[in-house]
Amino acid sequence: MREARALLAVAAAVLAVAAGGLLASPPPARSQAPDVLLNVMASGAKRLNIFIPDFTVVAGADPGALARRVPEVAGADLKFSALFSVVSDPAPLPVGDAEALRQRWSGAAAAGAHAALHGLLSLGATRATAEMRLYDLTSPELRLIATKKLDMPVADGRRLAHKIADEVVFQFTGEPGIADTRIAYVAGPPGAKELYLVDYDGAGPLPLTANRSVNLSPAWSPDSRSVAFTSYLGGYPFLYRLFAFERRPVQLLAGHLGINSSPAWSPDGRSVALTLSKDGNPEIYVLTVATGAFRRLTTHSGIDTEPSWSPTGREIAFTSDRAGPAQIFVMDAEGANVRRLTRGGFNTQPRWSPRGDTIVYTSRQGNHDLWAVSPDGSHARRLTAGPGDNESASWAPNGRHLAFHSSRLRGSRIFTMLADGSEQQPMPTQGGEATSPAWSPRLP
Amino acid sequence: MPQRRGHLVLVLPLLVLTLFLVGCPKRPATTAASAPPPTAPGPAATAPAPATAPSGSAAAAAGATRPAPAAPAPAAAATTRPAPAAPATPPRPVEFAETANLKDIHFEFDKYDIRPGDAKILDANAAWLKQAASNLVLIEGHCDERGTNEYNLALGERRAKATMNYLVSQGIQASRITIISYGEERPSCAEKNEGCWSKNRRAHFLVKAR
Repeated sequence: MREARALLAVAAAVLAVAAGGLLASPPPARSQAPDVLLNVMASGAKRLNIFIPDFTVVAGADPGALARRVPEVAGADLKFSALFSVVSDPAPLPVGDAEALRQRWSGAAAAGAHAALHGLLSLGATRATAEMRLYDLTSPELRLIATKKLDMPVADGRRLAHKIADEVVFQFTGEPGIADTRIAYVAGPPGAKELYLVDYDGAGPLPLTANRSVNLSPAWSPDSRSVAFTSYLGGYPFLYRLFAFERRPVQLLAGHLGINSSPAWSPDGRSVALTLSKDGNPEIYVLTVATGAFRRLTTHSGIDTEPSWSPTGREIAFTSDRAGPAQIFVMDAEGANVRRLTRGGFNTQPRWSPRGDTIVYTSRQGNHDLWAVSPDGSHARRLTAGPGDNESASWAPNGRHLAFHSSRLRGSRIFTMLADGSEQQPMPTQGGEATSPAWSPRLP
Repeated sequence: MPQRRGHLVLVLPLLVLTLFLVGCPKRPATTAASAPPPTAPGPAATAPAPATAPSGSAAAAAGATRPAPAAPAPAAAATTRPAPAAPATPPRPVEFAETANLKDIHFEFDKYDIRPGDAKILDANAAWLKQAASNLVLIEGHCDERGTNEYNLALGERRAKATMNYLVSQGIQASRITIISYGEERPSCAEKNEGCWSKNRRAHFLVKAR
């Protein structure tokens, strides 16, 4: 319900722009994809129903069955977005015959589809090229509303599909989807936790570390190249960064006496907020990565940790026990103007939404559950309600989805949900009990 | 700015040390590269991460070969060693050994103050440390599994620090003591109940001959 409303807001914004144009001139002959979305939502549908027949191979051989697999994966991405419902169809499409093609679209429209996605695949020995075509099945002429060519290594069919799905979401909402993202997480038994990397949908898990110590708190740099993390690989808990997609050694970011923990990259990627105890007790500092200089932000005898930047980089939310049991506070990026955000219970792990309007945190009232609050402290609401502990939220780059870990099944696992707490579902992982997901930015 | 000075304090002894060690002017670059300031984000070689390039990245397309193996363990360790701050670089945790002479103390949930009963244990630990003056001590701060990993790292640090402060107040030299927080990462008891959790909320002691 809430999701439909959010979607309508997007569509309404598009309509407002369109209406401005309508005043001055007659209706344009060709409307854009967002209008399709608007009309569908206005008709009461919660999701746009998209028809996705198998893709058509126009050049080369298809031993990897990409014509079936790519639309299948893209369809799953579109379902996950919670903006679309998907009807697939394995029957071959008559691409060379305009009238036959038109009949297929008409049939799909009659069956309730609002849009259709088709792709023409050119498959070489190493590269796969997809020309995607998006149709508006709500228009009488079943018009083509967008085409785009995408190119990937032929071995990377899943990523090709994710790119196509993200383009479809972009066409309908004006913002790219998040299918071409990864999630880093921590997995392993106590005393032997390693970092892993997995596609956002749980496919292709890979180890990121294998140092046989304890590795914690992965945090992506905004350029999606590196992951900052705390590791005991040198004996003490120091802060490092690894380069997830490059053959580059792990780099030490902070190796002070005491803890070097809880990294959070500033939105501009130049700094890392972190917790150091080198000056006596856990305080929040900002490390300028290029110079190695540390700037101290908090000065309090209690625990100050778990910094999280606002998307503007002007404020930092953090956890402190300065007022009794841990609570969420906000300060500006220079450490001044500290204000308290939460009251009651035991509240930790603030995670500022990339949209800026929400801070998600972990609240202990018996078990741990995820809550959300506005940055002014109003509108606190519960997102999860057990069973087990639900902790450690990480925002998808579009601010619409969250990953978190939950012990509701046996052992801790990674889950995803929408920002309003709906659509909670487990994500496949490897390496044993999985915790501390970190959702990557969109990949280049 | 005090922070700035603190940073220099870390770096200067290292530079001095480097100057002493270099001696031979033929390899200044090599020496400098192998001993970057611990807190500087230079190319501090530790362990290479297994590369996980998405197919399509330059590395994968080029069929990148594995990088040269990381520097041998001792060299790698040297670059990750904490800064040689004022007294001395603390020994690595693995150099410390278990001892039956120092007893654990325990903490209330989410607390880091020393309870009266535990103060008596610390008094006995201090007494043993006084007569075993050749020993350095490592204090580990631990938490139970409840609460977030990051918060528990801070909480474990506070427990280890509170324990250290008590021992210092009993006349043990601070220079003999190193602390480390393991947060909730090294439980001594694995079950998910208060019986286990209360055992895990502890300060644990290890020793090393000076």
